[in-house]
Amino acid sequence: MHELAIVEALIEQVDRELHRAGQTGRVVELNLAVGRLSGVHSGSLRFAFELLSPGSVVEGAAMNISEPPATCRCRDCGHSEPIDELAAQCPSCGSGNIVIEGGRELTLDSIELEPNES
Amino acid sequence: MRIVAAKKLLKANDLLAAENRAKLAAAGVAAVNILGSPGAGKTTLLEALFAALAHRARPAVIEGDIAGALDAERIARLGVPVVQINTDGACHLDAGMIAAALADLDLQAVDLLFIENVGNLVCTAGFDLGEQMRAVVLSTVEGDDKAVKYPAIFQGSDALVMTKCDLLGHTNFDPARVAADYRRLAPDGRVFEVCATTGDGIPAVAAWLLGSEGSGRERTET
Repeated sequence: MHELAIVEALIEQVDRELHRAGQTGRVVELNLAVGRLSGVHSGSLRFAFELLSPGSVVEGAAMNISEPPATCRCRDCGHSEPIDELAAQCPSCGSGNIVIEGGRELTLDSIELEPNES
Repeated sequence: MRIVAAKKLLKANDLLAAENRAKLAAAGVAAVNILGSPGAGKTTLLEALFAALAHRARPAVIEGDIAGALDAERIARLGVPVVQINTDGACHLDAGMIAAALADLDLQAVDLLFIENVGNLVCTAGFDLGEQMRAVVLSTVEGDDKAVKYPAIFQGSDALVMTKCDLLGHTNFDPARVAADYRRLAPDGRVFEVCATTGDGIPAVAAWLLGSEGSGRERTET
């Protein structure tokens, strides 16, 4: 359940971004990227968000989570394919001489605000 | 309106980890993050290592547990400086907890700092603490499929220490299988087979720790 700590970090980050942009409007949407190899579970993240968001700057906001896959590239046969889980060998030729790229993202990409009516 | 943030969510942890790393390097302290399941034998391994390190390096320990100070009491009984962190339910140590614990240690009197993480093969993998080395402890009674089932914790670690090897033959644990699985996840990692209660294999681990001392290797996250 380190998702709780991550949501705490998320809320602090949103707070900082709003201050930096000088915005006070209501946060309606958060766009996150949680890579499939990040070790973070989106469902647990949503659960932690429900627990921690009330009373914070992100109360009532929708959380959109994209889950980018990783790519497994084989140095022997040149095969390349997206993977959802950490692979130990090339899915095509079985070689262990592989490179795994991406899929570890854990980022707050953007914040959607409803501006204050003035 | 949209605010583009594009910020890593563990960035605060990464910044604190970098501060810890700089502080440890400045004091000439090599820190090793010890990861493994509850009951893998992390504390027993440390107890055995202190004897092997005697007169060669001055150890200290940061103990991470969800509750209680049982492990810290074991370490303190051996006369080794120790700081207990209770995470109050959190499943991992983070760099902020380590920063606070470092303030309670006299780093000038320490060469080798062991950070015994909370017993957990999953969550502890995601948090850089500012350590130079990461060692995973896996006991022979846990089963030899763990590197396949929990790859993240093994990936990119510097060493795998298989403990309770005196029980080999009483379980179906195959150390060669574990070593092969581990090499795929950490091609440069060292593999040790030990029995901490008899001391078998412990000198090799101690030698590795002493050799790595002050290497100041940066962990690289992708």
